[in-house]
Amino acid sequence: MQDTPHALLLKFPGTNADVETARALETAGFTTETLPIPVVTPGMVEHAQLVVIAGGFSYGDYIMAGRVAQLEIQRRLGDSLHRFVGNGGYALGICNGFQILTRLGLLPEGSLVDNTSGRFGCRWVGLNNNAPKNAFLRDLPEHFEFPVAHAEGRFVAPPGAAQRYVEEGLVALTYTQDINGSECAIAGLQDSSGRVFGLMPHPERFLFREHHYDPDWNGDPQWGWGYHFFHSIYLQIAGLRGIDASLGMGVPV
Amino acid sequence: MIHATYRHITISSLDGEALAKLSSDMKLSLSREDMLAVQAYFAKANREPTDVELEVIAQTWSEHCKHRIFGAQIEHTTESGTEIVDGLFKTYIKAITEKIMEQKPGFVLSAFHDNAGFIDLDDDLAICLKAETHNHPSAIEPYAGANTGLGGVIRDILGAGKGAKPVASLDVFCFGSPDTRQEDIKADDVIHPLGVMRGVVRGVRDYGNRMGIPTVSGAIQFDPAYIYNPLVFCGTAGVIPRGDIDKAMEAGLKIIAVGGRTGRDGLHGATFSSASLTTDSHEEDQQAVQIGNPIEEKKVSDFILDARARGLIVFITDCGAGGFSSAAGEMLSETGGQIYLERAPLKEPGLVSWEIFLSESQERMVLAVREESMYELRELARIYETELTDLGESDGSGILKVSHNGEMVCELDCAGLHEAPRRSMASTHKPTRTAAIEVPCDPAADLAKVLGDFAIVSREPIIREYDHEVQGNTFLKPLAGAAADAPQDAAVMRVDDSEKLFSMAVSILPEWGKYDPFAMGQACVDECVRQLILSGANPERIAILDNFCMGNPDDRNELGALVETVKGMAEVALEYQAPFVSGKDSFYNYFETADGPVSIPVTLLVSGFGVVEEAAHITGSSLRGSDSVLLLLGTTENALGGSVFARKRGVSGQPVPQTDAKANFALYRRYYEAVCAGLVLSAHDIGEGGIAVAAAEMGFTGKHGIHLDLPDDGLPLSAHLFSESTGRLLVEVDAEKAAAAISHFDDFPCLQLGAASEAHRSLRITRAGESIIDEDLSQLKSLWKNGLSGYY
Repeated sequence: MQDTPHALLLKFPGTNADVETARALETAGFTTETLPIPVVTPGMVEHAQLVVIAGGFSYGDYIMAGRVAQLEIQRRLGDSLHRFVGNGGYALGICNGFQILTRLGLLPEGSLVDNTSGRFGCRWVGLNNNAPKNAFLRDLPEHFEFPVAHAEGRFVAPPGAAQRYVEEGLVALTYTQDINGSECAIAGLQDSSGRVFGLMPHPERFLFREHHYDPDWNGDPQWGWGYHFFHSIYLQIAGLRGIDASLGMGVPV
Repeated sequence: MIHATYRHITISSLDGEALAKLSSDMKLSLSREDMLAVQAYFAKANREPTDVELEVIAQTWSEHCKHRIFGAQIEHTTESGTEIVDGLFKTYIKAITEKIMEQKPGFVLSAFHDNAGFIDLDDDLAICLKAETHNHPSAIEPYAGANTGLGGVIRDILGAGKGAKPVASLDVFCFGSPDTRQEDIKADDVIHPLGVMRGVVRGVRDYGNRMGIPTVSGAIQFDPAYIYNPLVFCGTAGVIPRGDIDKAMEAGLKIIAVGGRTGRDGLHGATFSSASLTTDSHEEDQQAVQIGNPIEEKKVSDFILDARARGLIVFITDCGAGGFSSAAGEMLSETGGQIYLERAPLKEPGLVSWEIFLSESQERMVLAVREESMYELRELARIYETELTDLGESDGSGILKVSHNGEMVCELDCAGLHEAPRRSMASTHKPTRTAAIEVPCDPAADLAKVLGDFAIVSREPIIREYDHEVQGNTFLKPLAGAAADAPQDAAVMRVDDSEKLFSMAVSILPEWGKYDPFAMGQACVDECVRQLILSGANPERIAILDNFCMGNPDDRNELGALVETVKGMAEVALEYQAPFVSGKDSFYNYFETADGPVSIPVTLLVSGFGVVEEAAHITGSSLRGSDSVLLLLGTTENALGGSVFARKRGVSGQPVPQTDAKANFALYRRYYEAVCAGLVLSAHDIGEGGIAVAAAEMGFTGKHGIHLDLPDDGLPLSAHLFSESTGRLLVEVDAEKAAAAISHFDDFPCLQLGAASEAHRSLRITRAGESIIDEDLSQLKSLWKNGLSGYY
């Protein structure tokens, strides 16, 4: 019997989805520690199994989403997050966390900028699971829904790059409809190891069945797809998968 | 050398007129009588006041802080004679709540004395709700006014008990119509309603979203009278462990400030909001509007919730109107104590004493804590990156002492300070004569017009800009149904660490009050409570708030309408056993235009929250079944007064619906038993737009068609379709359970009005077999859904 997998949740001034993200991680089986950035040391990061950056508006996101948080991480923790990932650790960024991981260069090069509508948008969206063997997406079907809530969720990349990410299998999640102008409808990305994952939608807001907007939703009688998202990575880290699931392109298992 | 930061003001030698002029010159908003009382106070102390002291008294006695009109003795004259109302608050709000508290022991855990009232959720937790207005600031600077309006009410929750956690917000607005012609605005510098609306919505959005508090409930009303005085109501609900509700000050505590710095923004806010607006306000009173910084408040919130969980907070209150003056004044009103102004961290140098003490700079909370907790609190401030300042201490003197650089700038006897002279006022109410006639209607065309009215159209463009799902607890969302865009009557929130949930709803019907303020008061309570029960709340566990806005209270007729509204509201609240746990009022919402003064209609917002005992009780307002049966509960009357239909048709002189509270509440209790027995699939309140709109909205989920067959019972068709009679629900039950449901409502007004149909996607209404309306639901929906999108 292994120890219960442990997740480290980093919190910045303005992070506001830490409570529900911790709730989701714990419901899926993790022990979770929420740490405001001033108390985090490089050692803590290096000894974690999963590092999560939750949604919110770190430092207000007034300059550019995730920019100040990126600088704070670099100032306080140096390259320890990169080393952590390099040594086999998993990292997850949701919404603002996705923006921060992108700024840190832990995910494919690009930026998350203002939605083409110029507006904040809170709605449920359809998603395509393009990497069904990814450690976070293993237990999710080909199509499912999560809610989004962002003003800066349009992924842009250098010319041709987004298409290349698609071909390389890095585009783990795409929107079924264009909601924000994202290149190649990118909703979530993984790095080339498959261990770093960032997405704009909020899996933690679809933990329970009752979270769904339609009381007659044709799904799991107890859990929302968000539960299965966190439970997938839990099983992976707990070593309960039996097989190595790295980049994970291919048919759903 | 330090320059003097305060001055003494000679008042002992002034006569009444000169005192009134001094009040006006200093923008104190104190009346001649108030100034005479101040003069007497200082004569007794045998000295002249400082400017700081005058400012403190002005703030403490301002309408904004003291609610002197709700406390006034009012001579109220109606056709049936003249009566003396010994305080509206005392007679109709407090007394009723106390009566309900006696009848329902253990439900209300705190009312009126704290920042927000608490009710029982479960054995461990309590919930609270508070709503505030930020009207004057939003008129002058819509974005910042609404921004800080929400920020302010969130701080109320953080300062309720020993620090409640804000978990959901509501916002309700009253604007001029977005299509108002510029030439119809009869004053310079007044911002066009469209600009006000956009600014206000963005202000609420940017504060709520950044704080991570879901904005889940709301309403908008449009009326030309709101062009000059828009209304912005912001409310927030909170959750707290029951043991952290009670707090008490004591001598020997440290008084600390946490959060933002103090600057010149927000000077005179409390007194500014207690006077009417003029064109000059748009130039002169800019400094009364504060500047918001939601991230600062988020840091303060993280700090407070952690400090409270660690048991480090003895007493806490927010810095709202009146800044340190009101926060420290409230805290030290019994114990007395000392505040050192030079310790307050400033945004800019050069503030004089009264500016530091009275500034309403945002994002500041004041706490009383034990000396031995200071180390841990400083550590928390470091971790959450917020500023903590030791401002002073409480002692047992009973005197509020404020010093600045070693000089005593304010020394007031706390007991004497809070005794404002009581006002005596007079009011008159003359009912509008009405006679119900058979108003003709063109059903399909009228339905289209009513569905497209600004009061009814979907608020979707606005709702989508609010993060209504952050915190991951919004189970019944403002927009839901199969396509996630159909309207719901209430929002239902899950609560962490509890099996229980709670529901939140609002009601505001200013049009009704123009003709029958008593009926408006009744209907607002009825509709709010009905929506809560309908969404699954237990009728025995509901509490409400009253927020009043009006124009000129010194006008007998306007004040008379207020008195009638309060009476109607109180009558229904008592019958529904729904206590008032908090409330607020805003006066002087009138404006001197080129065509004379324009007052807003007396406006009442009733917002409420109720306990939902289990998630299985959550009931949405969108049609679910393909062959389910629709029951109409309640009675429809030919009372079109105040209705959207009457407004669209330009019909006047119609009676406004009256509320039979006893009958309604018996029906709601029965309905709740049906919910608990699993008989209800969905339900929608019949409100603005009547049965026709309610049925259409249930169909907007897009699954199936609806067929209603109206009884040929002599009621005019227009009333059948569009009357807004209170106390009615449209309830969907499974076809197989229809017989059981109908017999469940055996002794109640219950009519099998229609059914869902898989055969079509239309709203079909017939009367005794004759077709009245047969409209494609998707076309009706597009009218309703896109009504506001051109403007926002």
